[in-house]
Amino acid sequence: MGRRSRKTQPKAPPASSVVVIPDDDSPEDLFNSYANKATRTIEPEGIEKLCSDLGIEHTDVRILILAWKMSAAKMGYFTRAEWQNGFYALRADSMYALSRALTELEKKVRRASKEEFLDFYTYAFNYCLMEDMQKTVETESVCELLGMVLGLQFPVQAGKLVEYLKLQTEYKAINKDQWSGFYRFCTEISYPDMANYEEYSCYYPAVIDDFAEWMKEGKA
Amino acid sequence: MSTPKKRNFQIEAFKHRVVVDPKYAEKTWKILEHAIREIYNHNASGLSFEELYRNAYNMVLHKFGDKLYTGLVTTMTMHLKEISKSIEAAQGGLFLEELNRKWEDHNKALQMIRDILMYMDRTFIPSTHKTPVHDLGLHLWRDNIIHSKKIQARLLNTLLELVQRERTGEVINRGLMRNITKMLMDLGSSVYQEDFEKLFLEVSANFYSVESQQFIESCDCGDYLKKAERRLNEEVDRVSHYLDAKSLNKITNVVEKEMIANHMLRLVHMENSGLVKMLVDDKYEDLGRMYTLFRRVPDGLSTIRDVMTSHIRETGKQLVTDPERLKDPVDFVQRLLDEKDKHDKIIGSAFNNDKTFQNGLNSAFEFFINLNPRSPEFISLFVDDKLRKGLKGVSEEDVEVVLDKVMMLFRYLQEKDVFEKYYKQHLAKRLLSGKTVSDDAERSLIVKLKTECGYQFTSKLEGMFTDMKTSHDTMQGFYASQGGETTADTPTLAVQVLTTGSWPTQSSSTCNLPAEIMGVCEKFRAYYLGTHTGRRLSWQTNMGTADLKASFGKAQKHELNVSTYQMCVLMLFNNADRLSYKEIEQATEIPSSDLKRCLQSLACVKGRNVLRKEPMSKDIGENDAFYFNDKFTSKFYKVKIGTVVAQKESEPEKLETRQRVEEDRKPQIEAAIVRIMKSRRVLDHNNIVAEVTKQLQSRFLPNPVVIKKRIESLIEREFLERDKVDRKTYRYLA
Repeated sequence: MGRRSRKTQPKAPPASSVVVIPDDDSPEDLFNSYANKATRTIEPEGIEKLCSDLGIEHTDVRILILAWKMSAAKMGYFTRAEWQNGFYALRADSMYALSRALTELEKKVRRASKEEFLDFYTYAFNYCLMEDMQKTVETESVCELLGMVLGLQFPVQAGKLVEYLKLQTEYKAINKDQWSGFYRFCTEISYPDMANYEEYSCYYPAVIDDFAEWMKEGKA
Repeated sequence: MSTPKKRNFQIEAFKHRVVVDPKYAEKTWKILEHAIREIYNHNASGLSFEELYRNAYNMVLHKFGDKLYTGLVTTMTMHLKEISKSIEAAQGGLFLEELNRKWEDHNKALQMIRDILMYMDRTFIPSTHKTPVHDLGLHLWRDNIIHSKKIQARLLNTLLELVQRERTGEVINRGLMRNITKMLMDLGSSVYQEDFEKLFLEVSANFYSVESQQFIESCDCGDYLKKAERRLNEEVDRVSHYLDAKSLNKITNVVEKEMIANHMLRLVHMENSGLVKMLVDDKYEDLGRMYTLFRRVPDGLSTIRDVMTSHIRETGKQLVTDPERLKDPVDFVQRLLDEKDKHDKIIGSAFNNDKTFQNGLNSAFEFFINLNPRSPEFISLFVDDKLRKGLKGVSEEDVEVVLDKVMMLFRYLQEKDVFEKYYKQHLAKRLLSGKTVSDDAERSLIVKLKTECGYQFTSKLEGMFTDMKTSHDTMQGFYASQGGETTADTPTLAVQVLTTGSWPTQSSSTCNLPAEIMGVCEKFRAYYLGTHTGRRLSWQTNMGTADLKASFGKAQKHELNVSTYQMCVLMLFNNADRLSYKEIEQATEIPSSDLKRCLQSLACVKGRNVLRKEPMSKDIGENDAFYFNDKFTSKFYKVKIGTVVAQKESEPEKLETRQRVEEDRKPQIEAAIVRIMKSRRVLDHNNIVAEVTKQLQSRFLPNPVVIKKRIESLIEREFLERDKVDRKTYRYLA
């Protein structure tokens, strides 16, 4: 499914045709232009195309934000309904508007309230669970995700956490409880001295105990 | 009903004029007063008591009771004043005797006077609420004699001085003392207490305070206690001889306080003779004395107990952490047992088998045994040693004694599961090498473990015994089925079929068996699988043994008792005189660490060196060469070639065992968490940790960090969840 990338704004309206370039920016048309005709779903290739059309890396947090707004259920796939939801939620009606809305949204998420951010933060982890019974995400992917997501609000802590997770060997995968623990750690524990951690230790999973220990040793 | 006739009788009193002599009272009293004087003067024999009684009777009858009573008081007072003078006049030691004599006189006189005035005592005194004659006599004696200025102080001092003299070793007239104190008691308990006991206790306190100070400066602990005990006995003796029985507790309290309580800590901690020294030297008598004396004072026993406990902790800690001790596990455990025996004996013979002392001893052992993480392994090794050889020729009861002692140490262990691991390994080795001395002893210990820890603890151990039995039967069946096929030339095979799971998992490293053995092994395999379909057999060559017949240079024949590995190596020399290490390794495929160990025992042990090694050295190198040692000689026909076994575990083995233990604990911890959460539904983190620890402590002491991780694993598997609001609280998901 060869498609030529384009940076310019589409002008002409023609809808369905052999022409692959979406002439119209309506969400429906955009969807069709990225979707696999057979499965009627945007698949990883389509997303890659979308990224390059938006001029961003596919690892950019904005794609994750888009998926969040679309409430996309499966990583790397957008269904038609999700796509329309997302455009509606972003109040975007064109590629240009989408691009602007996502950039805006990224700024908003950086300043988001705790509840709002937590919603996104939680979504990000669930989004990474590919299989039905999957409960954990490999630590390597978690490191990427932490830098991307937690980094929006707590870049310093996120950096240290990633540094620790890469260095340790005990935790090969991270579960939901640990993931949500990372965020609470950033909001509840004074940093970098972690003076109040000891008394709150029972509120946190062991991986954060070990992280705190590592931090203290590193400081000493 | 009225009587028909009324008769009136009148009885008239006999008119008898009583002429009252106006001087009657005065006269009669004179007679009585005279009589009283005569009584005091020991002239009572000439008196007519009958007449005197009648006189007194008449006086009361004619309402002169009051005159009679006041007369008595005045007369008696007057006499007592005289007596007082004569007592005062008595010199020195005669004072008490005089007092005693006069007291006896007074008592006798009082008796007679009371007899004469009996009627007054019975009628006049109760109706007018006056003091009865006898009591009056005592009161007057008290007021006029005992409380007389010149007597009161002198009496007290004399008594105290006598006690003091007795305390310093003089013999005093105890009879006299007893009479005097008896007098004080007769005069009323307040007289005894106020006029004597109070000061007696004060003076005693001073005396013992000074004396104990002297003793403590000059004596060692044992001597001091002997002296204190003697003093205490003296005081008890004194009370029984001449003091009121009620004084017993008071005076012993004084001695206890002054001689024991006040110096307790100093005594216990006295250098070179205090409690610790006594414990070290097994001074049963001194310890017993300390116990009986200290138990009399508050905190006395707890003081002894605390010092004893911390002493045992300290010596125990030194024992279990001494690296020198770790070299010999059997000796290590023997020392622990000796230490326990020693203190058991002390508590039994000196501390009255006091329960709290036993508890102190137990807690101290529990404390230090667990300081050394290798204790479980060593205790198992100790049992191993005993069951291999140590119990040979020992009577059944003595075996039980040793095993009971081991069980006692076992009870102190926190990590019972680690012991179990090692015990299983050691038992397996014992059973497979046929080294166990007594089946009864083995089973007896398993029964003990079962009662201590329950069925699940020992079921696998019992399975091992069953396997041994079954294997025996299987072998018989095998040879029966082979019929006459087995000739003298083919090797005799003895197979033990071990159920997987019941036996400790060994990293099974197989080797190439010699062809001769392989053949018979295959026969067995066919037989076994023929009778037990669906099973799998794998050879555990690292665990077997073999007996080889070998002939050496000068037609010397020997039977060599070797391990399976050693047998494989030796069999190679049937076809070669020289083999390099590499060749041997290639031919047998024995893991190199095992191979080195086995070659070392074949070539490097003096008297057992059936192989010769080049170059000669203690250790095996990869480039060494080995020769059949033609010159091997031995006095014995049978030669046992032991493997150079590491009896204790090496570091990596230890780590591996540790890991296995930790791995085995995980499901147990998880099961405990689920049990607890199932009944509690909601519980916070710290409480779960506490409950899990409590549930599992009979097996081992779970690490809180591990518990935390297990909780998280259960959260991950959705048995539990964290409370949405209170994140330290978990909910059970059912």
